[in-house]
Amino acid sequence: MSVQLVDVRKRYQDGRRTHEAVAGVSLTFDAGTLTVLAGPSGSGKSTLLALCGGMTTPTSGDVRLSGQSIVSLRDHHRAQLRREHVGFVFQDLGLLDSLSLLDNVLLPLVPSGQVDGAARARGLALLERLGLQQLAESRASALSGGERQRGALARALVTSPAVLLLDEPTAHVDRESADEIVRLLAELRDEGKVVIASTHDPRLVERSEVSRVVQLRDGRVVS
Amino acid sequence: MRRHAALIGFALQACSRRAGRTASMMVGLAFITWLFASVVFLTDALRHEARLGITELPDLMVQRTVAGRPALLDATHVDSLTAMRGVESVTPRVWGYLYVPSLEANLTVVGLTAAPDASLVLEGRLPREDGEVVVGATLAERLGLRRGDQVALPAAERYQLVRVVGVFRAASALRTADVILAPESLARILLGVPPGMYTDLAVELRVADEASVVANRAADLFPGARVLQRSLIERTHALTFDTRGGMLSMLLLPALAALLLLVWDRLTGLGEVERREIGILKAVGWQTTEVLAVRVYEQLIVALTGAALGVAIAYAYVFALGAPGMAGALFGWSSLYPEMALTPSVDASVPLSVLAAVVFPYVAVGLVPAMRAALMDPLDAQRGRT
Repeated sequence: MSVQLVDVRKRYQDGRRTHEAVAGVSLTFDAGTLTVLAGPSGSGKSTLLALCGGMTTPTSGDVRLSGQSIVSLRDHHRAQLRREHVGFVFQDLGLLDSLSLLDNVLLPLVPSGQVDGAARARGLALLERLGLQQLAESRASALSGGERQRGALARALVTSPAVLLLDEPTAHVDRESADEIVRLLAELRDEGKVVIASTHDPRLVERSEVSRVVQLRDGRVVS
Repeated sequence: MRRHAALIGFALQACSRRAGRTASMMVGLAFITWLFASVVFLTDALRHEARLGITELPDLMVQRTVAGRPALLDATHVDSLTAMRGVESVTPRVWGYLYVPSLEANLTVVGLTAAPDASLVLEGRLPREDGEVVVGATLAERLGLRRGDQVALPAAERYQLVRVVGVFRAASALRTADVILAPESLARILLGVPPGMYTDLAVELRVADEASVVANRAADLFPGARVLQRSLIERTHALTFDTRGGMLSMLLLPALAALLLLVWDRLTGLGEVERREIGILKAVGWQTTEVLAVRVYEQLIVALTGAALGVAIAYAYVFALGAPGMAGALFGWSSLYPEMALTPSVDASVPLSVLAAVVFPYVAVGLVPAMRAALMDPLDAQRGRT
């Protein structure tokens, strides 16, 4: 699977002012690559990630998954596509604090009624892979920054998506945890997934595991 | 089915996550439901009590008016009615109202013409001799009367000393609260009704279904005849309690409106946590309909639990506690409110209609905000843009 952005623009109405978060970006992300979107705050990294995952639609331009436009899809088809093919890790990780870590991981499976024994086993296996199996029943609010980061990654992977999007994956973790996360991302890349991470953390930009770095400024690709 | 079970499970979790809001909404709904259900239960139970009393009434009651005011009847009226076709028997009765200054209330004095239902008497016996009376339980309590006590009542010409030989059962208080049952001769003294004169005539018919036909003929029998049919009295009682119940319900409408406004306010003003949660759910692939379903299930859980709680409390309030504070408004505007335990008499449709009257508006009011929340773009929801 590949993700393709074709002259994508995204504007927001901020009172009377129109703010252009993404200003004519064309990029292609291939399977088996780990791409980092780098740039200062407000450069459009998070919006670009959301566009790649079909979480928002562009004001103009096209977003394609494996060559198929997702812009014109109806809302429920886009939601289904996100559920089946896209894993997303939010900047604030997006864990529901009052749920256990395992329940958070299984959240994408709830609406289809698939939270059965097999799903729980899969969730536990993912947590084990990420070194969190002992914390499966702990409330998300009781986890450390690094544990939450890996927990959010487990949730993004529970549906075995082809595309993995991560917003600032190393922002709130120490160097050791950041190294662990990059190692995991490299593993996922090697499994053939499209991995795209936004960051303003130079540690991530400089890593050898990264296939490509896209520099953004004011919603435009500068390098 | 499995899908919806999972969504309901998630909605239950969401309710517990927002325990404070859930509890406050449930309490509000339980309170409103309790008020409405109490009025409905009470009205229904009173109608039931009234129906029981009406079965003991004669088929027809004939009175006489002169210049639009009640007047006494005599033996000629009895004879002419007895001679009518279809009439089984005519019982002349003496009864009326007696104002008691110490109570600032009118009491109903009933002359004993035939043996009443003995099961009405709680303590003692029926009057056998002049000067003996049976009194209603409420009246006995207000005057501090017990069996064997003597009390002076303000008769038409002078105070009349009477002795209490029995007290009516509290269960019959709706009909007997302010009643003094006395031998006919004593009733005449208390009310100032001369011998040979009667207040009204109780008529039993050979065929009860012919009541309206006989009533029409009886009305033409003598000038000023006023004929009351049992079925019409039954309808009047039902209308009286329905009207009072309706008036009380109308008074509760502002409370319901206030609650619905509160619900609207709470549901439209999505909190930061809820907005973030919707953003997360949609980002991980939940469809709009699934987010909407969860929010509707949440509202149904809150509404059904709150309303069911309200109905249960109302049942206990009316039938176990006797609806203190509310019963007076429905029993009547007499100075002597009946003190009685109501017999539980609830049609299954009553709690169901009360539930529907509260649950449907609650869910309907929450539907638009739920839809708006569910339609939010996941990125906008995450970032607090609406």
